[in-house]
Amino acid sequence: MVKFLFPTLMLHIHADLTNYRLMTLITQSSGHRLMIAMINVHLTLKMAQWLDEQHLNPYMAQTPYLPHFVLLTCWLLPLMIISSQHHMATEPINRQRTYIMLLTSLQFFLILAFSATELIMFYLMFEATLLPTLMIITRWGNQAERLNAGMYFLFYTLASSLPLLVALLLLQNTTGTLSLLTLQYSNPLNLSTYADKLWWAGCLIAFLVKMPLYGAHLWLPKAHVEAPVAGSMILAAVLLKLGGYGMMRMILLVLEPLSKELSYPFIVFALWGVVMTGLICLRQTDLKSLIAYSSVSHMGLVVGGILVQTPWGFAGALILMIAHGLTSSALFCLANTNYERIHSRNILLARGLQMVLPLMTTWWFIASLANLALPPLPNLMGELMILTSLINWSPWTLALTGAGVLITASYSLYMFLMTQRGPLPTHLIALDPSHSREHLLMALHLLPLLLLIFKPHLIWGWVS
Amino acid sequence: MADYKEAPLASRPKTLDPNEYFNLSLEHRRAEEERAALRSNLKRQFQTQLNDPHRKALIEDQALNRWSYARGHPYPYFKPTFKTSLMGLMFGVVPIFALYYVFKTDRDKKEADIKAGKFERRFCLSS
Repeated sequence: MVKFLFPTLMLHIHADLTNYRLMTLITQSSGHRLMIAMINVHLTLKMAQWLDEQHLNPYMAQTPYLPHFVLLTCWLLPLMIISSQHHMATEPINRQRTYIMLLTSLQFFLILAFSATELIMFYLMFEATLLPTLMIITRWGNQAERLNAGMYFLFYTLASSLPLLVALLLLQNTTGTLSLLTLQYSNPLNLSTYADKLWWAGCLIAFLVKMPLYGAHLWLPKAHVEAPVAGSMILAAVLLKLGGYGMMRMILLVLEPLSKELSYPFIVFALWGVVMTGLICLRQTDLKSLIAYSSVSHMGLVVGGILVQTPWGFAGALILMIAHGLTSSALFCLANTNYERIHSRNILLARGLQMVLPLMTTWWFIASLANLALPPLPNLMGELMILTSLINWSPWTLALTGAGVLITASYSLYMFLMTQRGPLPTHLIALDPSHSREHLLMALHLLPLLLLIFKPHLIWGWVS
Repeated sequence: MADYKEAPLASRPKTLDPNEYFNLSLEHRRAEEERAALRSNLKRQFQTQLNDPHRKALIEDQALNRWSYARGHPYPYFKPTFKTSLMGLMFGVVPIFALYYVFKTDRDKKEADIKAGKFERRFCLSS
C-alpha cells in the first residue's frame, strides 16, 4: 500500500513542478496516476488469494473483502484529469496546478479513508474529503447555482456527521478503543436504553446522508449538476461509496442488536426512494440531473441491501457500489461530451446524435445498458443479490424493488433514446467530432465493467 | 383592420387570413395581430441566426431556457394548497407509514411462527 500512497503524496509536488504547458501537465499527471492505478490493480488481483488483512501499520489496513474502493479511487483519478482537459485548457497554469492538486489531495484522503483501521482516522478523512470537493464545485462549476450547491453539499454532510463524532467519542469512552482490529473482538455492547437508540442513529446518519438516503438526498442533484465533470465523477463514483463503506463497517462491528428493529424506517425510506427518484428521473429535462437522480435510486437499493445485514445483502451492496461507480462516472463523462459541444445540459437540445457521432453512441449504449442493469453486467448481479436478500427479509419488498427495476429500465432507455435517437435538430452545426481522448475515457470506464463480467469473484466480497 | 404585413422570412399564417375574420370581434383581431407580429419577429430572428454563415454556436432559445429553468427550480414558487398538501401526504408520508406497517406485521408474524416452531424453512443456499 505504500506503493500507491506515497506516490499519491508525491503527486502533489509533481503537479507544482512540471513544465508550463498544459499538455505536458495533463499527460504527465494522468500517466503517473495510471501507473499508480496499475500498481493498485496488481495488488488487488493478488488480494484475491489472501484470507486476512494486510497491514501497513496498526492504523491502516486493507481487508481482502473491501479493497476495491481504493482501486476505484486510484483508477478514477487519471480519468478525472483526462476528462477535465478540455475545460481547463483555457485556464492559466497555476489554476490548472491547483485543480490537479485538489484532485490529488482528494485521492490521498480517500485512500486513507478506505484503508483506515481506526474509526477516528476514518472520520477525519471522511470530513477531509469535503473540502477539496467543495472547492472544486464552487470554484469551477459553470452556473451561478454552484454556490448554493456547494452550501447544500457542505452543510448537509457536515451537519449529519457531527452526531457521528459524538457517537464515536462515546464509543471510545465505553470500549476504550476505536481501532477496528480490537473492536471486532470486544464484547458486544449492552444497548438497551433510549439513549443507546439515539447513539445508534448518530452512528449511521452521517453515512445515510452521504449515500444518500431518499429523505436527505437534496444535496446530491445540486452538487452533481453544478460540479465540473471531474467533481461529478468523483462525487458519483467514490464519495457516495464512502457512505456505504462506513455503514458496512459500523453495522458489522458495533451496532448489533438494535439494528434489527431500528433499521425498519431506513429500509422503508431507501426502498421508497428507489421508486420515487426513478419517477423523478423520468421528468427531468437536465441530463446531469437525470444521472444524479439515478445515482440516488441505485444507492437506495444499496442502503436497503446493507441494512438487512445478511451476507448476500452486503455482497450485493458491494458489487452494486463498484459497478455503479464505474457506470455513473461514465455517464457523467458522456453528459460532459454533450455539454462541451453545445454548452447546455438540456436534454432536448442535443438529440439524434447517433447520426452525427455514431461511435459515441456505442459508448452511450453500453453505459445506458449498464445503468439499467442488463445481464451479465455486474450491475445486475449486485441488484439481484440485494433483491434476493430483501425478499428473504420480507417478500413485500418485491413490490417496491420490482417497480424500481422497471422504472430504472425506462429512464435509462429514455435517456438513451432522447440523446441518440430521434430527429437531429436542424440548428446544430459545428459539432466537434469525437476526440480520441473522449474514446479513451469511455473505454477506460467501461472496459473494466465489461471485464468484470468474466471474473466477478474480484468484487463478490464475502460470498466467494 | 390588418396592420400586419407579410415579411420576407415570415409568411402570413392561416389564422390571420382576412377571409377567416368575419366572426371575430375587433379587440380579438387586434390582439391576434399583435401576437402574430411578435411571433414573426422571433421567427425572423431565428431564421437570421440559422442562415448566418459565420455562426458556430448553438442558437439560444430563451423560451426553452426559461421553461427548463422553471422545470428545474420549482421550490421558491411552491404554494401549500389543498392539492399540493394532499400530494405531499399521499406520496411522502402515507407510503412510509404504510410500508413500515406492512413490513413490521409481516416480520412479526414470521418471528411468532419461528418462536412457536411452526415456521417451515425452505432450502436456502445462502441468505
